[in-house]
Amino acid sequence: MYNIISKSKIWLSISGLLIATSIVALSMWGLRLGIDFTGGSLLEIQYNTDRPSVTIIEEALQSNNLKSLTVQPVNEKGMILRFQDTSEETHQAVLTKLRELSPISENNQVNFEELRFESVGPSIGQELQQKAIYATLLVLLSISLYIAWAFRKVSRPVTSWKYGMATIISLFHDVIIVLGFFAYLGHFHGVEINTSFIAAVLTVLGFSVHDTIVVFDRLRENLPRSNDDFAGTVNTSVNQTLRRSINTSVTVLLVLLSTTVLGGSSIHYFSLALLIGIFFGTYSSIFLASPLLVIWQQMKQRQS
Amino acid sequence: MPESRFSKLLRVTSKGRVWRSFVFILIIIIAGSLVVFGNYYNQAIDAYKIPLPKVKEIPFRLGLDLLGGSQLTYDADVSGVPAGEQGNAVEGARDVIEKRVNVFGVSEPHVEVNRTADNKYRILVELAGIKDIGEAIKKIGETPLLEFKEQNTARRALTTEEENSLKVFNESAKKKADEVLQKVKSNGDFSALAKEYSDDTTSKDNGGNVEWVSKRDSEEIASVASKIAIGQVGSTYIQTDRGFEIIKVNDQRIKEVKASHLLLCYKGSEGCSSEMSKEDAYKKIKEIKEQATPKNFADLVKQHSTDASNKERGGDLGWFGKDIMAKPFEEVAFGQKIDTISFVVETKFGYHLIHKTDENPEYNISHILIATQSIDDILGPESDWKNTELTGKNLKRATVQFNPQDNSPEVSLEFDEAGSKMFEEITERNVGKPVAIFLDNYPISTPNVNEKITGGQAVISGSFTVTEARDLAKRLNAGALPVPITLVNQQTVGASLGQQSVRDSLYAGMIGLILVAIFMLIYYRFLGFLSIIALAAYGILSLAIFKLWPVTLTLSGIAGFILSIGMAVDANILIFERLKEELRAGKSLSTAISEGFSRAWPSIRDSNFTTLLTTFVLIEFSTSVIKGFAVTLMLGVLLSMFSAITITRTLLRLFSEQWFEKHRWLIGYKKNQ
Repeated sequence: MYNIISKSKIWLSISGLLIATSIVALSMWGLRLGIDFTGGSLLEIQYNTDRPSVTIIEEALQSNNLKSLTVQPVNEKGMILRFQDTSEETHQAVLTKLRELSPISENNQVNFEELRFESVGPSIGQELQQKAIYATLLVLLSISLYIAWAFRKVSRPVTSWKYGMATIISLFHDVIIVLGFFAYLGHFHGVEINTSFIAAVLTVLGFSVHDTIVVFDRLRENLPRSNDDFAGTVNTSVNQTLRRSINTSVTVLLVLLSTTVLGGSSIHYFSLALLIGIFFGTYSSIFLASPLLVIWQQMKQRQS
Repeated sequence: MPESRFSKLLRVTSKGRVWRSFVFILIIIIAGSLVVFGNYYNQAIDAYKIPLPKVKEIPFRLGLDLLGGSQLTYDADVSGVPAGEQGNAVEGARDVIEKRVNVFGVSEPHVEVNRTADNKYRILVELAGIKDIGEAIKKIGETPLLEFKEQNTARRALTTEEENSLKVFNESAKKKADEVLQKVKSNGDFSALAKEYSDDTTSKDNGGNVEWVSKRDSEEIASVASKIAIGQVGSTYIQTDRGFEIIKVNDQRIKEVKASHLLLCYKGSEGCSSEMSKEDAYKKIKEIKEQATPKNFADLVKQHSTDASNKERGGDLGWFGKDIMAKPFEEVAFGQKIDTISFVVETKFGYHLIHKTDENPEYNISHILIATQSIDDILGPESDWKNTELTGKNLKRATVQFNPQDNSPEVSLEFDEAGSKMFEEITERNVGKPVAIFLDNYPISTPNVNEKITGGQAVISGSFTVTEARDLAKRLNAGALPVPITLVNQQTVGASLGQQSVRDSLYAGMIGLILVAIFMLIYYRFLGFLSIIALAAYGILSLAIFKLWPVTLTLSGIAGFILSIGMAVDANILIFERLKEELRAGKSLSTAISEGFSRAWPSIRDSNFTTLLTTFVLIEFSTSVIKGFAVTLMLGVLLSMFSAITITRTLLRLFSEQWFEKHRWLIGYKKNQ
């Protein structure tokens, strides 16, 4: 049996450090919001042969008066253009310009293909931001209510709402680390977050709770029969679920690792967010949520 | 008789119950497999000629990110619709858009109405695998907004002060127009003068050129222009509702021609049912030509023409522009003089004689506009008309017909029941007054109402060409939008990106699953093997439900499915760990199995329930992308509970305790010494 609880200071410091770093990263760089949230247009094209340089494209499109145009090469043959949200006419005009830039090759093949085009009005973006925030808050509320209810029978020596609190703190920990990491990715690698990132974060949230509940459930089962003190019982419970926690995470992480590495570009960052979130979700259910319960119990003991 | 498996089934022992649920599981798995792999099953039956019934092949419903295609989001403006009617009006717009989309042949278009939290209406149009999205957007947007308006009697009169200022303004405009006209006449440079004096901002910089103007654009200007020679300036100005216009005619051409024809087709020409030979037909038409005059032309047509479509009308073709008729026909018709009969014209349809009855010329005109003010400029435009409750949504059918008096094409409208009643009321209160028909906010016809009209028929007449009338009827039939819409969001995914994503993600998912299977086999051995079977069954059932429901599979939906497999594995692992614990505590195998399951259940239930809570919130509150993810995850979680508890347990119980005792290593556990 590993003595996890007695070393809780180490784990809490590690988590504290990770949270602090993430908060610093978030407040310094913020998240780079994609056009889903801000409104705007994104045009991705792929060239069959040589692609024109960024400056040539920028110069050619100057006459189209696109506000805040950025042109960014992707992979070997792709190009992503971003500009303000726009009408279908502008979209077609841009395509025509691009076609002029890269004329049809000898075998009559069009020289590039439009992979995707998205244009989001600013009001829709706003609406989506709002919805994402509401959804997150609602998920948090319903989860903590459910846990407080599910653990209503265990109120000694720690009251049931504290289980809920510990769960919420550990999921905050997991989510903030993911956000911090994406703030870093956004600042240094230009990774933008979009709606599927929100889906990933909410899943991490669900998984984190999922994991914590399994550990707490064992504690719920052990407490009435245990002769040990609270810290000891928590430690036993964590150890009893350790193998399951690790095995489950390993299987999920195996799948996510392969979708991150091998999956298409469109789910790459989605999988990455889940990978990080679920890794720390497992960590936090063992090394953060349970030690927190013990610390609260000891604080209460010292008071009385 | 030895006890057969069959008799075990019927007997209600604990073992019998296990066999029963095993058969039950087997049946749903086979049914699920037939749904998922229906096409392979049918192929196999065909290939080996097995006498089994075929199954219905159900495809997966793939989202646009996988299939390639476009998603368009429109805002519907319901501000003009009374509160209780808004939902219906938007639904009407949805139907119209769906019809529009169907017209240009998109396979399974998906058009739905969303209502946002702040009471706005959105119409979502999903077009899978479409090539030219620009064209599609144009077609959807082009849909006409048809409105019926009556005179606005509530319009206030001008005050004396306003009237005076209007008078002063227009008098000074007239003075200015006189001055400019003098300058033009004294051989001034027309385009320089236009630049200096014209109030028409759109044309003043290119010498006042307003391009081609026909009678339909402006009756007054066209009739004056017809009296001015090419290159000349009119000797006086024309007063239009915009102001005083001094015009110069740069060029002139014929826009449309009105003609009737006599056709003699012969064996072998297009669409001909006559048995006459080509030589005979030529001889005959020559004879007809000899005796044809503009007066007897219609009678000759009724006697001889083989064009049944307009024979009874004396061969009248109505108005037509360029590029409508066969090339030789058009050249002759446009070239000949009014009220003459052409020589014999040959087209692919046969031999024609053409009687040109009228032509509509158009003039390339430059003008200098000296603007005047009208009541509209003071009180605001279009206040002449106010909306009635009758709109395009009440339209049942639009057809082209020909006016019996002058054979000009018209569009006749037929209203539905409610529309007929409204139309009756509108005509009743407007007897002796005009009622205007607006198409896309532009008046196309303002007939005077002579009497109350019952029966729900209205006619739009104007100077249409046949083609224009047909186009209008077609557009109205495809549907008139009951509410205006604006495109606010567009997402297009190229087909190759979609296919690439599907391939990559499926490949990645497979590799991931194989890794999981290997891990489970190594770690849990026989139990791992059972869990793989249970997971495969779980996978088949999920996919079958995706097909049957049907769930739209998007990339994030597939991600949700893969994650739900993670949850399903977790349930198995929870159970196995508990089971081994119970065995370690020295319990017998059958006790360990049932204890393991019942103890693992609360964790499985609670942890999955929180995931379900999350998916519920996501389905209720989010957009399509996340929704797809949440739906597959939710289905997955529900099914995974079933598979872990029922399938895994039943499989475990199929094997006898003695068999396990003999092969304890299979569970990865040695008996306590």
